[in-house]
Amino acid sequence: MAKTVMIVDDSASLRQVVGIALRSAGYDVIEGCDGKDALSKLTGQKVHLVISDVNMPNMDGITFVKNLKQIPAYKFTPVIMLTTESQEGKKQEGQSAGAKAWVVKPFQPAQMLAAVSKLVMP
Amino acid sequence: MEFDQALQTFIMESRELLEAMEESLLGLESSPDDPDSPDNRDAIGAIFRSAHTIKGSGGLFGLDGIVAFTHVVENVLDRVRGGEVPVDGDLVALLLSCRDHIGMLVEQIAVDAAAQPDKETEATGIMLLNQLKAYQAGAKGTAPAVTGARVQSQAPVITTLPSGGTVESDNWHISLRFSHDVLRNGMDPLAFIRYLDNMGKIVHVVTLPDAMPLVPDMDPESCYLGFEIDFHGDNVGKATIEGVFEFVRDDCTLRILPPHSRIEEYIQLINELSEDKIRLGDLLVNSGSLTRKELDEALCLQALSAESCREKSPTQDICQLGEILVKQGMVQPELVDAALGKQKVAKENKVQESKLIRIQADKLDQLINLVGEMVIAGAATSLLAQRTRDPALHEATSTLSRLVEEIRDSALQLRMVQIGETFSRFNRVVRDVSKEIGKEIGLSIGGAETELDKSVVEKIGDPLMHLVRNSMDHGIEKAEIRRQRGKPAKGTVHLNAYHESGSIVVEVGDDGGGLNRDRILAKALEKGLVTANQTLSDQDVYGLIFEAGFSTAEAVTNLSGRGVGMDVVRRNIEALRGTVEIDSREGAGATVRIRLPLTLAIIDGFLLGVGSASYVVPLDMVMECIELDDAERQETRESNYINLRGTVLPFIRLRDQFRELGKAGRRENIVVVQYAGQKAGLVVDELMGEFQTVIKPLGKLFGNLKGVSGSTILGSGEVALILDVPALIQRAVSKEAQLLAYGL
Repeated sequence: MAKTVMIVDDSASLRQVVGIALRSAGYDVIEGCDGKDALSKLTGQKVHLVISDVNMPNMDGITFVKNLKQIPAYKFTPVIMLTTESQEGKKQEGQSAGAKAWVVKPFQPAQMLAAVSKLVMP
Repeated sequence: MEFDQALQTFIMESRELLEAMEESLLGLESSPDDPDSPDNRDAIGAIFRSAHTIKGSGGLFGLDGIVAFTHVVENVLDRVRGGEVPVDGDLVALLLSCRDHIGMLVEQIAVDAAAQPDKETEATGIMLLNQLKAYQAGAKGTAPAVTGARVQSQAPVITTLPSGGTVESDNWHISLRFSHDVLRNGMDPLAFIRYLDNMGKIVHVVTLPDAMPLVPDMDPESCYLGFEIDFHGDNVGKATIEGVFEFVRDDCTLRILPPHSRIEEYIQLINELSEDKIRLGDLLVNSGSLTRKELDEALCLQALSAESCREKSPTQDICQLGEILVKQGMVQPELVDAALGKQKVAKENKVQESKLIRIQADKLDQLINLVGEMVIAGAATSLLAQRTRDPALHEATSTLSRLVEEIRDSALQLRMVQIGETFSRFNRVVRDVSKEIGKEIGLSIGGAETELDKSVVEKIGDPLMHLVRNSMDHGIEKAEIRRQRGKPAKGTVHLNAYHESGSIVVEVGDDGGGLNRDRILAKALEKGLVTANQTLSDQDVYGLIFEAGFSTAEAVTNLSGRGVGMDVVRRNIEALRGTVEIDSREGAGATVRIRLPLTLAIIDGFLLGVGSASYVVPLDMVMECIELDDAERQETRESNYINLRGTVLPFIRLRDQFRELGKAGRRENIVVVQYAGQKAGLVVDELMGEFQTVIKPLGKLFGNLKGVSGSTILGSGEVALILDVPALIQRAVSKEAQLLAYGL
């Protein structure tokens, strides 16, 4: 059975590109456009990995991860944070919220795929 | 003419070679145990080369005496190099004497190229040649040839590793120990290992369940496993493998050892690296055998161990980075050795590069003089430009004066030499004197890279020699007494140099008995240097030993005698505009501290106005300027001190000091100056700011003038006197003390 990855970002195009890359590698992908939207879509189904941006409207990535880790079903779900070079502080914050992996923006689809497959094999 | 010049070059070159030879011989003497160690082999090689070069060049000049003698020395050295003659203390001593003899011959040539050695030198030569015979080929009693030394020194093939087992195959070896939290953080250890398999082939995995507790104690959310992985990958580097574990890097201990076939490759890479970066860690990282992250970790460990070392015992050496890297299993020892070798070569090349240009000292002096004139002319130009109030001209001159300042600094830099060379000469002195007086004494040197003016270096040698000999002879106790006092039998003399607020401090210290205050005081009373009711600080008392006529062996046995007048030392230092002071702790040792100005020719000055005259104070000594307001002027009319933020600041009115005529200015300022830890104020009318100053010495006629150390020419062409701040401070402080003593 294919593994499920959730991508949370307010940029639709980014979600699309990452989605294409991941789907073609054999993952199932669900999308969320911000933290609030993503939480509403997580209803207990199995998700193997979450990729989340930091800066998003409605609910930012760090609050989202904090909330995610409160839900028993997703307590151990690994999270990849998308940071930019200038967000060293955010990286620390994200780590303490529970996101132990990160990919620096801007990235190539292949880089994202490599990071994902380090954590979850398709 | 040209031949003479070449001869001069030969003499200079020989002096340098002989110095290098002496250094190597002393190095050999200090660690003779292992004649086959690479260091000692290098030293022997260097000694041989020195002798060989001197012989070779000497032949070109027809210096038969030098050639004949050096030839014999070279023969013996060749046998030493070949391992046919063992190195021992006697041989080193003999070779040192030979080196001195060659030096003597060279110096005689330096005086007169056609000179024949005098009788005494000739006799020494013959005696040394006789002694050398014992070591020459065919002589009886020499040790049988020790062969095989060279074979041993070839690189051995190392197959075992200190940790992580053996890497003989073409496989990388990866040791992984996950932390307990890795699962809780949402990481799946197996996912990383699976990803690794994508990049190459995992040949073998051993799972280490050793850390697994018994079932009742086990937490299913914790990870207890470790893995040993053999991995085969083409075109995979250490950093790439580390990258696989990027996300768990903080949650695991990771050690990656390259395949054996890679080691040679790395060594080659290390050797091919450019020589810009010569730190061990950088070399290893650049070659790819160490990752940046591992280096950071090792440096962290080093810092930690350094801290704990300091707490436990201050004498213990800090762990070397190389050792840590090997002990942690981050890098194989061969690679560390290769990098260290590379480091050494790079350093040597640097040193050689820095020796490239040789300039005659007088050319340099001329340059400095010209720069001095330029500084004055520049100041005059700036002044004129200011008067014209033409902004463009003003701009141009300020650029010019900035450049002049830079030229001045670099010109002065040319004269700066490291004090290390002067210091290392004392290795020999300490060795010889300690043998002569039968005490075991070592020399420790600090701050060898401190730079000071060449002319100062030349003049400081003699005073240092006096001080070192004094320390050894009278400061350091006999071995029995040292043992009784609980000190190591071997005494130490320290030489140290460092910069301190515009001056250079040179220290000569020992861990001997220190000065005996009571005895010095008694002697001073007897000589009438002090009176019985004077209160003297320790500093004052110690300073008494620098008074003329104070040195009789009986008076203060632990720091005088021998006819070495400490007053001569002080006079020499004062001639360099320096000062001397002594720190001493009874039973623990004494330190003589010499304070010297950074340069003798040009300084940054601070221009002051009193009445119609101008004075200059070295800017480095100025601490602050404060205005003396009317109330304070009234208050201080009679006294000679003010309250500066709660401390007493004695001051001197320059107007009174130099009998400046004319009415006092509408305003007065106090310039607070500092020297050697003491502060005083100078009361002046006007503050005129920073000013580059070329020091012109005062004529002989004014040699005894107190409070003035030189003169300079201002941009306007007027003459300003440069104040002798140490003397003025001394005066202000002692005046103050006198007043206090009389209860005023």
